[in-house]
Amino acid sequence: MSKKLVIQNNNCLKIRSLLIKSLYNAGSGHPGSSLSLIEILYYIYRNEKNFKLILSKGHGVPGQYAVMRFFKELDNKNFNNLRKINSKAQGHPDKRNFKKIDASTGALGQGLSIAIGYAMAKEYLKKKGYVYCVLGDGELQEGQIWESLMFLNSNYLKKLIIIVDYNKFQNEDLISKTLPMPMIEEKWKSFGFKVFRTNGHNLNNLDKTINKVKKTKKPSVIIADTIKGKGISFMENSGHWHSAKITRNFYLKALEELNVKKK
Amino acid sequence: MSKKNKAIRDVFGEVLVKFAKKNKKIFAISPDLKSATKLSIFKKEIPERFIETGIAEANAIGIASGLAMSGLKPVVASFGSFLSGKNIEIRVSIGFNNAPAILVGTHGGLIGPDGPTQAGLQDISVMRSIPNIKIFQPASPIETAAILYHCIKLKVPSYIRISRQANKEIYNKNYKFVEGKPYIVKNDMKDGVIFTSGNMVERCLDASNLLKNMYKIGVVNIPSIKPLNKSKILKIISKTKRLFSVEDHSINGGLGSAMLEIISKYNIKKPFCLHGLNDFTQSGEVEELYKYYNLDGSGIAKFLRKNI
Repeated sequence: MSKKLVIQNNNCLKIRSLLIKSLYNAGSGHPGSSLSLIEILYYIYRNEKNFKLILSKGHGVPGQYAVMRFFKELDNKNFNNLRKINSKAQGHPDKRNFKKIDASTGALGQGLSIAIGYAMAKEYLKKKGYVYCVLGDGELQEGQIWESLMFLNSNYLKKLIIIVDYNKFQNEDLISKTLPMPMIEEKWKSFGFKVFRTNGHNLNNLDKTINKVKKTKKPSVIIADTIKGKGISFMENSGHWHSAKITRNFYLKALEELNVKKK
Repeated sequence: MSKKNKAIRDVFGEVLVKFAKKNKKIFAISPDLKSATKLSIFKKEIPERFIETGIAEANAIGIASGLAMSGLKPVVASFGSFLSGKNIEIRVSIGFNNAPAILVGTHGGLIGPDGPTQAGLQDISVMRSIPNIKIFQPASPIETAAILYHCIKLKVPSYIRISRQANKEIYNKNYKFVEGKPYIVKNDMKDGVIFTSGNMVERCLDASNLLKNMYKIGVVNIPSIKPLNKSKILKIISKTKRLFSVEDHSINGGLGSAMLEIISKYNIKKPFCLHGLNDFTQSGEVEELYKYYNLDGSGIAKFLRKNI
């Protein structure tokens, strides 16, 4: 592993500890859903300029706040008041509070359509940068997603990059035990998409795949295999940690696993 | 003053193209139905800024949100019943994001043989409940152009409800649209005043004329349903004895409800009666339906007489 990658992976560990701390302070929130998208968001914030990011799975926003905090785009006070009254860091993305939150989301299924609008505008206005849309896999059950895919089938948008955080879980259980969605790749392919499958926790793989998408001149999607609760053993692949209070014991245990000394 | 009747949706389609030829930020988004909403004219004249989403209103609303938040001016047009049916998409993508898109709900009111599923009968109630969104309804061709022009300049989202019927021109070139302002179209209001809007203005004038030998009933056009200028409404109320609202829309949450909110807030002690729809309607010819639901001139006159 290159030295650069070691540093980047270490940064993602730091972001995870920031995330756990903010969720511990909040006393509620979505740890599992946030932990699965850390590398995806870190990659975008670290490598992209003039980007728009639509976090369609809005409940993962503590992950975005932690990445924003790491890159000093969110102050400590608001970050530590996650989900508290009058805090900028609301429970779901709130565009009113941040210039860099490009869309308020939370009611699932809507972000891809909004991202299409942004990507069309970027092309029309000849603006630089890409529009990223991060979808949850459970979110794919929303009908509006498939309305968007039908649209993209005949309207290729070169500025749009879609990433599915494929952690295989939804609200409190596995997707396969809630409403199974077999043949996920085939579903996208049948809508005219080129499907790229990658490991959503591997920054090298993400880099390669995103660059491939940028060179592909047709509608594309990245299905990023991720682990719900990634990085904290007892949260990994657990329906319980989709949305749960982190108690002090669990908080200390999580920090220990992330190998960050508590101040 | 021209008396030639012109369907509001035709005016909308033509005027939008006229504005869009000058303002390159205007986009038209059509979830199918372009010949009914008259976005077909836009598609023909400015195809590069015409977006067809197919029968997918939710996606259309989301795309409008993204375009609007990028500084462009999207206009989504579909039947008011279908658009307002997408409550959560409008609530979050447009309302909560305060995305300055224009949503145009056509086929407001009683629309004819297609029946209640296609008719906008609760759209104002739905839209009025969502913060940030302004609501307008034109009564005539001139007012349609003025409202559309106003909405294009707005930095917040708006909903324009337009009817399917042809409406007489009640204004002239000097008409100036002011957001929130109620427009008195018949001033003689000794015995009562009707607050109404859109397609119903003409019908209320008919009702007032039918009763002119018995009562002096004024008619006020409310093109701006949200926001509503409260002090101007209170001034009108002070000049009369009885208050009425008439709308081709559900009385739960529509114009009458908006008036009631003002009346209760300022503790107005004058009789107020609402007239409108209480139920899903049915198929039938347009004028047959307005008559059946007592929303034609003589039906409204009957309602007024009963309540004076």
